Formats: sequence, C-alpha cells, structure tokens
Amino acid sequence: MAFSQTLSLKIGFPSLDARYFQILYLGTFLMMGIFVLHWETPIDKVMVVLGSCLLTQCLFIIGGKAHESSWLSALITALGLCLLFRANDQFTLVFASVLSISSKFFFRIRGKHLFNPANVGIIGTLLISQDGWISPGQWGSSIIFLFIMGALGSILLFKVGRLDTTLAFLIGFFILEYCRTVLYMGWTMDVLMHKLSSGSFILFAFFMITDPKTSPDHPRARILWALSIALLTFLLSTWAYIHTAPIWALFLVTPLTAIADLIKKGERFHWEKEKNINPI
Amino acid sequence: MRTISVIAAIMLLSIGAQAFCGFYVAKADATLFNHRSQVILVRDGNRTVITMSNDFKGDVRDFAMVVPVPVVLGRNDIRVVNPSLFSMLDSYSAPRMVEYWDAEPCQRYELYDEGVSLDMLNSVASSEAMISMSREDKKYKVTVEARYDVEEYDVLLLSAKESNGLKQWLIHNGYKIPEAAEGVLEPYIKNGMKFFVVKVDMDEIADRNSDYLRPLQIEFESERFMLPIRLGMANADGDQDMLVYAFTRQGRIECTNYRTVKLPTDRNIPSFVKSKNQFGEFYKDLFAKAHEREGRNSVFLEYAWNVTPNFGMKCDPCVGPPPMYQEFVDAGAKWINPSNAGASPIFFTRLHVRYARDEFPQDLFFQVTPNSEQFQGRYIVNNAATGDMSCSGGQNYLQDLEMRRKREVDELAALTGWKDPRYARYIYEFSDQIHEPKRNEGAPFIPWSRGGMTGGLLLLLTAGGYLIYKRRKALTLKTA
Repeated sequence: MAFSQTLSLKIGFPSLDARYFQILYLGTFLMMGIFVLHWETPIDKVMVVLGSCLLTQCLFIIGGKAHESSWLSALITALGLCLLFRANDQFTLVFASVLSISSKFFFRIRGKHLFNPANVGIIGTLLISQDGWISPGQWGSSIIFLFIMGALGSILLFKVGRLDTTLAFLIGFFILEYCRTVLYMGWTMDVLMHKLSSGSFILFAFFMITDPKTSPDHPRARILWALSIALLTFLLSTWAYIHTAPIWALFLVTPLTAIADLIKKGERFHWEKEKNINPI
Repeated sequence: MRTISVIAAIMLLSIGAQAFCGFYVAKADATLFNHRSQVILVRDGNRTVITMSNDFKGDVRDFAMVVPVPVVLGRNDIRVVNPSLFSMLDSYSAPRMVEYWDAEPCQRYELYDEGVSLDMLNSVASSEAMISMSREDKKYKVTVEARYDVEEYDVLLLSAKESNGLKQWLIHNGYKIPEAAEGVLEPYIKNGMKFFVVKVDMDEIADRNSDYLRPLQIEFESERFMLPIRLGMANADGDQDMLVYAFTRQGRIECTNYRTVKLPTDRNIPSFVKSKNQFGEFYKDLFAKAHEREGRNSVFLEYAWNVTPNFGMKCDPCVGPPPMYQEFVDAGAKWINPSNAGASPIFFTRLHVRYARDEFPQDLFFQVTPNSEQFQGRYIVNNAATGDMSCSGGQNYLQDLEMRRKREVDELAALTGWKDPRYARYIYEFSDQIHEPKRNEGAPFIPWSRGGMTGGLLLLLTAGGYLIYKRRKALTLKTA
C-alpha cells in the first residue's frame, strides 16, 4: 500500500486531469506513427474513429448515463483504437468505435465498467468481422520510440498511480521470456530484447493495462492481475503463436477484476475526484 | 451541440482516389541484388507452402541446404517446381518506371511508348560426401525421420536432441557447417523444429543432362508462419536480400516482429534516368537509401494487389503478364477452383527485406491480414515536348518545365542521394528558348514537407493543451 502511495505522488500540473496528458501522449504517438513511421492510417479513418467514439459517448452523456467530462475518456479510447486497430472498411471502424464506447455502459459490475473499452471493441470486431486486423509490427523495435513511450508513460502512471501494474506486467513477462528464450532455448540476449522492445508491447504495458477504471482497485490484487496477464500473454504467444497475445490476454483476464474487487476492496478510482482533490 | 457539429463535419471528410495510366518502360527486378534469395509463400489457414529458389552457381556436388521446418514432411509434401515461376512472379511485381509525354503546347500531341528490361544469387551451405546412415546417428542423438529422393535432390528429415550432436552428425556425413551455426541450431531444436536437409543426387543430375537446380517446394500444416533467416546468417557476412512473393485468400501479409513499410512510390524523376538506362541503378540506390532511412530493420512492401483473374486491373501499368491459374497452382494455392479459377480470390504481396545479424536478431514472423489496399513501386518519367515553343502557351510551358525539372532533380537526390552539378544542364535544357520575361508565379511556394506537417500538428496540439490548462486554472481560481 505504501509503495502504491509513493507511486501515486502527483508531479507537475497537479490541477490537470491526467486524461489530458494521456490524450496528448496518445495523440503524439499517433502522429509519430502516421508522419514518422508512415503508417497506412489515412486521416479520414482517424476522423471516423474519433467522430464515432465521441458521438456515441455524447449520446450517453445526453441520456444521463455518463458524466459530462467523460468525453475525455472517449477520446482516449478513440486514440487507442487508431493506434491499434486497422480495417479496410470505414464501417468496421464505426462498429469497433460504437462497440468500444457502449461496452462501458453494458458490461458493468458494481458501478464499474468491466472491460477496457478499446480492448473489447477490438476483440469484438475481430471476432465478428473479417475486415479488421492489428499490426503488431508497426512500431518496430527502435530504442528511441521505446524511450519516449516509456518516459511519457511513466509520468502519466505516476500521476494516476498505476505504475505498479506496468512494472508487475513487464517484470513478470521478462522473467518468463528470459527463462524460455535465453535459458531454455539458448537464444542470445538481443533476441529477447528485440521481442520486448516492440513498440506495440510497450504501448500496451504503459497505456492499456494501466486503465484505472478496469484494473482491480486494491494494489496487491492489481499486481497479481498484471502478473496473470503476463503469464497468459506468454502462454498465448509461445504455444499458440498469437502475435497479438497481450490484447487477448487482457480481454480474458479482465473478468478477474470483478472477482478481485470483491475479495480485496481498495480505493475506487475516479477521474473526476482526482482533479477535485488537487486544486491549486 | 457544438461537439456534435464538429463530429458531423469531420465524418464528411474523405479522400478521393486518383487513377491514371502510363507506359511501362523498365523494371527493377531481383537480378539487381547480390546475396539474394527468393521465396514464394502461400498461406491458407494453418497450411503453408514454401518454395525456395535455387540460384546456386558453384559445383552442384557442393550444394546443400538445411532448413528448419515445424513438422516431419511426407514425400507428397516435397516437390520440385519450374524455375520460370520465380522469374514470372519477379518480373510481374517488380518496381516499375512509367513514362509520360508532355503535350506539345503549340500543336496537337502524340504518344509513344517504349520497353526496356533489366535482369538474383543464393548462399547455401555445402556438402561433399554421400550421406551415410549408421549407428553413429544414435551417438549424435540425431534421428533420421525420413529420407526421400525428390527428382535431382536427396532429402532427409532430421530431428535432434542437441545442437552439438546435430552439428557433429552433419559434419560426419560430409556437410560443411559454419562455426557460428551451432549456437543457432540449438533454439530450433529446443523449439521442436525438424531439419529439412537437402543435397544433390548426382545420378539424377547426370540423367537430366543439366546441372541447373530447380526450386524446391515444401508444404506443411503449422500455426507458425515464419521464415527462419537466422540459420542463413551463420555463414554469411554483410547484408543479404530476400524477396518474398506471398499468396493468400484474404489480403496482404505483413511482418509481425519487424516493421513492414511501403517503398516511396509514385515519384516524378528526371527523364535522363530512363534515357541513360539507369533505372536499375536508380532503384538499387533508392532501396539502399530507404533501408538506411528506416533504421536498417524494416521489411519493404514492393507490390500488393488482388490478382484474382476476374478482378480487373492488377497494376498500373503492368510490367508483364499477370500470373494465372497455372502459376497459382504451381505456387501451391490449392484453394483455386479449376472450374471457376477466375472467381477464386487470391492476393499477391511482394516483400523485400535486406537483413543482417545485428538488425534482425529474430526470425521473420508473418501474419495474413484482410488488408486489400493495392500498392506498387512506381516511378514516373515525364518527357518534355520538343516542338515549336514560340507561342505564349509554349513560353509558359518552358517556364513550368524548368520548375518541374528542379523538383524532379530534388526528388532524385531525396530518393537516391544522387547529386551532380551536371543536372543543371537537364533543368535549363530549354532556357535559351525562353524569350518572354519570367511571369509572376503568384503565391510563393511553401515547402509542405512531412516533417513540417508533423511539427505544425505538434505545435497545434501543444497550443490546445496550453489553452485547456489556462482555462482550467481560471476556473479553479474562480471556485476557490
């Protein structure tokens, strides 16, 4: 608990909702992807995703189902979709966006939405439609991107207090992969580092599993939760050759959040409360 | 309400497709690159067919090849295919140069077209002696799972318990194994891979009256969709080029553990590249520069198109005849229905990877995506009009031509690094025919590079963030 409190130390701009930072970072990553890495993400598709996520969220706000400021979360989900998900058809993107946002209102347990919205949107669309895909290799394994993502992610996670999740996931996965790739199989260390420095993997570790709304409230439960995602990611990628294993692992482990919250009650995270606590 | 109207506006944005045709004049095919290999990959569900080209140039008795495979292959899973399949697919999908002719500004225009063509090596391990199977196998903990005679090849499928044993077995049986190979064999053994070991059957070669080695094709069922490149690096120094021609039902294949990037394409380049027959050199330097720019660790997309026979246009322009039913079947695309081949979906992806040990520590893993966006490497040459330029239209044309040629020379430098003061002669070739004073170009030219755009957007984003911050601060102060 003490460790988590230390991690929760707020640094810089204390009055700002952490979601602004998240939007700024994810937006920057998306632009890096499009303009520096030359992804095939045309602006019109980005606009379709942003538009349909915001519009769906807007309908829920008008219907009184969501807090006014929740459009920030919808924007984060939209940026997450743009970063991870690809489709030929714009309707597939609209479907994924609507599914992502509405999942927050349909899969709820004890007033908390169950799945990470972008995650459920992607998995749902992949299962239903034959038109979407994830490009796990799109970031490459360049150290510079890794550094930028890690540094920005850490700042954000310090603010939200979820760095423990990322560290547990990364350390857990590193130990499993180290044992298999280096100790058992005999590959050199650079093979392992190439695997772990994949931009998609780092982005997932810093920006997806750390969603404070869908991870367990209690810090110890959270660490266990992150470790089980690491274990499942390892199993899926090693024996089933699923290149997008982290996304599937998160989806499959997420229901455990509800059980973890029942057993170990922790302080519930609220974006809105977060900013009220810290006036200048 | 404001939010909704903004959303409505951005949803309406769309990008219009541009289509135009030109004349194919040259292609940059696989023969340009040294230390190259060519592979055809066909993937349908978990079924993979790999065809490996064989450009071995030495004494065929020295030829040997060791390929890690996920399962023990049956006799029917190994075939020899016609080498023309590779040249056909290569020349069809190679990056191309197209040529346009400017309209004569002072008269009616004419069109011409011309065709030029250019003309790959494989590095393999080598063996000297016949393979003997003995009790020694046990000592080396190597099991010969199967042995087949496949036309001019002797094929063995080995499984091993440890890399040193396998290495010793191979050496004992006359294969020359590079020192570095042992460290690479180990992970494949631990991963449960078998070893597809090939050497040449000298009697068959003598019967065939040709020492040309035909491509070998293997077929197996496995979740793993990959190419084991690490073994090949054990005996090679420096960069190696590999061309991958892939066929799937759904869409493009892409690499999952390295970036798959598009080549720069649809660029206007100076016409002297064509007239001096430099397209091959141009493409080699373009590829080298793109490879450096992308960090030397990317896989390049050179061609992607739905090649279903009924699909219609498959390139713009086409460098050769498109692959048809027979080529698909030869490559191993078994889903093609012979009675309705025209409608069986098939997507062609051509990838070009230049790899070296340091930048490519992992084998290449692939995935099939539904991405059906078409792509081709295409470079455009615009030939200047040469007729009468005395009319005012002609004078305007010459001034525009100078501007265009400046841009072409800049593009050439950006793509290949080619810079030469003599290029000025190309830019100002017709300047003596310009008699009218230079006209006012109107709005100044704003260089709108990608970097500039990124910077601009970043600035906008920062400004937006700052404004939000200011507003929140003001609000908090007010409430306090």
